[in-house]
Amino acid sequence: MNALLLTAVFGVIMMLSSFLLTSKTAIRGLAVSGMVIVLAANVLEMMGIVFFKIDTKDMIAFDRFSLLFNSIVFISTLVYFLLSARDMEKVGINYGEYFALIFFVLCGVTLSSSFHSLLILFLGIEIISIPLYILTGSDKRNLKSNEASLKYFLLGAFSTGLMLMGIALIYGATGTFSTNGITTSPTSALVIAGMLLLMFSMAFKVSAAPFHFWTPDVYDGAPTVFTSFMATIVKVAAFIAFMRLFNDEFGSLQSRWQLLIALITAITLFIGNITAVFQQSVKRMLAYSSISQAGFMMMAIFAMNADAREGLLLYSAAYCLATIGIFAVLMKLKDYSFDGFNAFAKQQPLLAATTTIFLLSLAGIPLTAGFLSKFWMIKAVAGTGKYLWLVIFAVLMAVVSVYYYFRVIQAMYFKEGDGQTIEASLPFKWTLVLLAGIIVLLGVFPNWIIYWLYF
Amino acid sequence: MNITQILFWFLSALTVFSALMVVVSKNPVYSVLWLIFTFFCISGHYIMLNAQFLFIVNIIVYAGAIMVLFLFVIMLMNLNQSSEPKKHRWLRMAGVVAGGCLLLVLVAALKNIDIKKQVAETNTGDIGLIGNLGKVLFNQYVVPFEISSILFLSAMVGTVVIGKKE
Repeated sequence: MNALLLTAVFGVIMMLSSFLLTSKTAIRGLAVSGMVIVLAANVLEMMGIVFFKIDTKDMIAFDRFSLLFNSIVFISTLVYFLLSARDMEKVGINYGEYFALIFFVLCGVTLSSSFHSLLILFLGIEIISIPLYILTGSDKRNLKSNEASLKYFLLGAFSTGLMLMGIALIYGATGTFSTNGITTSPTSALVIAGMLLLMFSMAFKVSAAPFHFWTPDVYDGAPTVFTSFMATIVKVAAFIAFMRLFNDEFGSLQSRWQLLIALITAITLFIGNITAVFQQSVKRMLAYSSISQAGFMMMAIFAMNADAREGLLLYSAAYCLATIGIFAVLMKLKDYSFDGFNAFAKQQPLLAATTTIFLLSLAGIPLTAGFLSKFWMIKAVAGTGKYLWLVIFAVLMAVVSVYYYFRVIQAMYFKEGDGQTIEASLPFKWTLVLLAGIIVLLGVFPNWIIYWLYF
Repeated sequence: MNITQILFWFLSALTVFSALMVVVSKNPVYSVLWLIFTFFCISGHYIMLNAQFLFIVNIIVYAGAIMVLFLFVIMLMNLNQSSEPKKHRWLRMAGVVAGGCLLLVLVAALKNIDIKKQVAETNTGDIGLIGNLGKVLFNQYVVPFEISSILFLSAMVGTVVIGKKE
């Protein structure tokens, strides 16, 4: 509750700051300090100190799982602000409003991670989506950005329509919005139809195949600084909503949807990884890589056990931090193709080393957080004792993903080239080093996150 | 069959017919006009459920504001019959199959439910009256109601970001 109200308040403050404050440094400082306050308030709530007591009529439930997830998201956003806030200046003149929209998105994230009613789920998903349509199209003079925004808006509105239809059908069958689980037996066909519609719209929001067609175009067309935000924080938030929905509401119907989710997972892994191999632009490669990582996170939805919950939290942290790091480096480059990274290690040895750690984490190499989170996912699926082909397929696809991540490393270290000259300030470099340090430490001590889930 | 039932069936048939005409019409302007007609039919159903407030809101918001926006977009883009893009035959077939499957599932879902128990409260229901609606909205659903203000605020900020001249 602390975080929910504070993010909304800071959204309003940032909105006002854009005409009250003239200096961009002040706006940036305000946003970063706002993020720190939100994070601190959320950590206090985890320790049991709640500032606001509001009777939500059991529509929002802040439990350990959602609070821990919110903390992970706020830490990721803080890192994102520290690394990339300066690059938002280049997008357009509405500097303060961009931060305001990002705070509103975070408000939606807290809602969709802690809903206990389908109404709140819908509001959360919409509060996430609408600012994103705007941020995608914020580079107004760029035609690709306009196209991406319109495409995202139309397809997103359509999938929201599917979600509303699903909610209406479920309300018709159960007579309530609250997600206490389907208890009626035999299960009415209305529930099944509603569940399928909800599944498809959530699969669209997390860009799981075959609902992924918008992802590459939107991620490629949007300004890189906002792609970084969309591909990480928003995606994992949609996953948490997906997991809560199918755990709380449809948990009793697991045998009915498990095969379908397994198929979606397999197709997502296949399409994401195989298509990423053929990309020439690193930005587009990262878009497909986000689809393939979504495939791994879908395994948690499939398994839906204690391992899956722990794994999804770990995966959110590992994936967000590593991807934000790579995008922060990518934003400094002018040429987004693989050749743009040629001889990068000679130019910027420190940046190249940290980028290598981020890529290794995404590929799932041991001693990084990415390895353990993939391990947790596979353990969760193996723990269900069914569909072992999915485990084998996921491992194979993880091997394929090594190819395209290592292509960047190979370009940085082993290829000759001019090397692009980039300006990187000292604080930027140290933040990246800190980020790489966190990723390695999480890869050695994953209990630092999982501990919080239980104690 | 009393007068309420006759009215109900008449309105329902009219709604389905006009909704079909929205899809079938070749000319986009006709589609919009049929859509307005559909909204009026649905508003008629609200009246029969004794929900006058919803009836007024449906007319003002949907048939009024949103449809005007629709017409403006169509006029600005100057859409007419000749400019409609030709779609590939296989694409159309795929659309028919996919839509037909959804229709099949929904019909099967609606066929099996027990409607006898949950008859619509025609004439007797009072939940749609403005007083009762307000009580529910500000007691039971006050939190989602307040949260939706964040949604609208973010949409307004977005409009300014997109619309402001640089």
